Amino acid sequence: MRRSLALVKPALVKATLVKLTFVRAVFGKAVAVTTVVVLLTSGCLVQSGGIAGGGNSNTSKTIEIMLGFTGDQFDAFKATVEPYAKSQGIKIKWAATANFNQLINTRIQGRNLPDIAMFPQPGILKGLAAKNQLAPLDDVLDLPALKSSMTAGTLDAGTVNGKLYGLLVSMNVKSLIFYPKPAFANAGYAVPKTIPELLTLTDKIRSSGKTPWCLGIESAAATGWPATDWFEDLILHEQGTTRYNAWVNHQIKFDSPEVKQAAAIFSQIAFTPGNVVGGRKSIASDNYNTAANPMFKSPPGCFMYKQGNFVAAPGGFPDNVISDIDNKVGVFGFPPATANGEDPVLGGGDMAALFSPHDEAAKKILRYMSTKNFGASDARLGNYISPHKDFDQSNYPNNVVRDAANVAYKATSFAFDGSDQMPGVVGSGSFWKDMTAWISGQMSEDQALKRIDASWPSGS
Amino acid sequence: MIKTINAILTVLGGVGAALVLYWLLNKISGLFPGRWEERIKPYFFILPAISAISLYLIYPAVQTIEFSFANSGSTAWVGFKNYRELLTSADFQSTLFNTLLWIIVVPALTIFFGLIIAVLADRLRPQGEKIAKTVIFLPMAISAVGAGTVWRFIYATNPPGEPQVGLLNEVVTKLGHQPVNWLQLSTGRENSFLLMVIMLWAQVGFAMVLLSAAIKGVPGETLEAARIDGANERQIFTRVVIPQIRPTIITVFVTVTITVMKVFDTVYVMTNGDFNTNVVGNQFFNELFTNFNNGHAAAIVVLLMIAIIPIMVFQVRQFRAEEAAR
Repeated sequence: MRRSLALVKPALVKATLVKLTFVRAVFGKAVAVTTVVVLLTSGCLVQSGGIAGGGNSNTSKTIEIMLGFTGDQFDAFKATVEPYAKSQGIKIKWAATANFNQLINTRIQGRNLPDIAMFPQPGILKGLAAKNQLAPLDDVLDLPALKSSMTAGTLDAGTVNGKLYGLLVSMNVKSLIFYPKPAFANAGYAVPKTIPELLTLTDKIRSSGKTPWCLGIESAAATGWPATDWFEDLILHEQGTTRYNAWVNHQIKFDSPEVKQAAAIFSQIAFTPGNVVGGRKSIASDNYNTAANPMFKSPPGCFMYKQGNFVAAPGGFPDNVISDIDNKVGVFGFPPATANGEDPVLGGGDMAALFSPHDEAAKKILRYMSTKNFGASDARLGNYISPHKDFDQSNYPNNVVRDAANVAYKATSFAFDGSDQMPGVVGSGSFWKDMTAWISGQMSEDQALKRIDASWPSGS
Repeated sequence: MIKTINAILTVLGGVGAALVLYWLLNKISGLFPGRWEERIKPYFFILPAISAISLYLIYPAVQTIEFSFANSGSTAWVGFKNYRELLTSADFQSTLFNTLLWIIVVPALTIFFGLIIAVLADRLRPQGEKIAKTVIFLPMAISAVGAGTVWRFIYATNPPGEPQVGLLNEVVTKLGHQPVNWLQLSTGRENSFLLMVIMLWAQVGFAMVLLSAAIKGVPGETLEAARIDGANERQIFTRVVIPQIRPTIITVFVTVTITVMKVFDTVYVMTNGDFNTNVVGNQFFNELFTNFNNGHAAAIVVLLMIAIIPIMVFQVRQFRAEEAAR
């Protein structure tokens, strides 16, 4: 048995090798043929305008809403909309994603549009409106009523070519400075009413041996965005809304006197030794959620923290501060440049847009989202601010949120966050990264501003 | 529950459909006269595999190469503009340098540590050996994003005077120094090396398992013969064991090198390429999904494909040499 196996083995091996070579040859030929076929058929590029014109043709009572936020915020939002939808017999399929910008483009290219989408950034919404992918809301909503009810400027953020495409449904206020209420009062500091007064207060606190500011821009992959908020607030308040919008549209470049003035004020606040907890070198590694923690020690490690209203909620300020927030924290709006000029406010929010122009159910939901008390139950949980000036403010859970909301309601105009409006390569790319590089000392201010200008896509 | 039932049905359906397909193909090729049947059958049988490969591999690859010569919206040809823009930008050159650093350092260190741990674990008692190997292999089981999250807590930095959350900085401050911004140290590319540690932590287990199996497969007679000839332990290791496990070392080296060339999640989660840590994989992601620039993204991928070809050629040649030697 053993001997015959020994004789058979080489023959078997040889046969297998021959078969293998044969199969390899066949395989190789088949692959070659396929590649040639593929080369010939894939020679065409994407036709411009090849994206299907006209949005979603859905007309049923089952609609899909796509959102850019998940977790608690999503649950709270769902709980606000579902009761109304049920009462109208509308069934909603929810598609919540943390990567909205990436996913919406994929869905559009795959011709798989939702009925309503809540855009966290207006840049993409405006691009889609320009390509006729979205339905104008002028006939769906009561525009005159909205104009008087909503904060000035919030409708402009979603308007393209004179028509409204994006309805601001939730608002966050960014031009806010938080301070430790008891310590401020004890030291006798007054809330500054203009930017020069803010700088004077900074110097006053520093010369009395204390640290005036907490500043942190770390945010994992998005590190740098709080620095862009600082620039936007400075440019908005120093230059006014019109020039701010011109800057957002790149008519005023980053390498310009207006932006350099903002950079000078920011440098004075952030880089002067003794102004910021941890000094300049810790700004880029200090996470924006926890950067204000020194403020709540006694004596306070810092006296001012500029950030959006969302840090005054669980996950931002320490829990023991949140539970007693009205006694521990005060907030004032980022002051205007002069006492009698414009007093604008910088903010963001989610804008609802309509993909299905023929769907009554979707239109009903949009109309419901535009009512003045929409989001009341959400507001009571603490991280929702309504863009309507006539929203019932008793829904806000504490004075800090109420004061933050009123900074927006009383402002002369609302400006949407600039980096959210700029093209992605700048707004989520070079603006964040080059600001971070400049702050951490790896790049000069001049270099950073020129690089951001150079990264702006040409003729996008 | 529904999802489990769906999954089971999908598996059954998939396997069943494949069986039916091949049975059909067999029947169809049986319809041909004798000699033709023998010629046609091989092509028929590899038809499903070829179709799948061409649909999911060849077509996208060809499409990507074409897009690398088109503009950012893929609507017009631009020739070599994308390649020119990328290769002349200082940012991308720095990115390439970083990627090169990763390629040089990580595979070599992975094999080095994998070998050492394999040899040392070999000398433990079987129980201890199993525990040691499991512990070292565990990091491979978590995703790169999970590993990034764990190591964020090791490298985290709070301003001086604040309680430190990061393990390294806690040690440093307890020793009396100021906390260090680990991930921002970029003058000597220290932060890149700290990121490489994360990948090493995950890959050493893989190397260790393969190398340990290979070391155990070395015939005992060769070791005894070497001892009789008077070699000491180190000479046995370097002159007898390592040459015999060369194929495994090469396999591990090639696998880890290809993994390192594609590294993305570690860098994205920790720094998103800031502070001079950018690598080619991360840049591709940002070009495609943040900048929406198909042209640049495709060009980066084509450059990566070209860079991998020599390694693949080397790997296939090794494999063929092995087959012939058998």
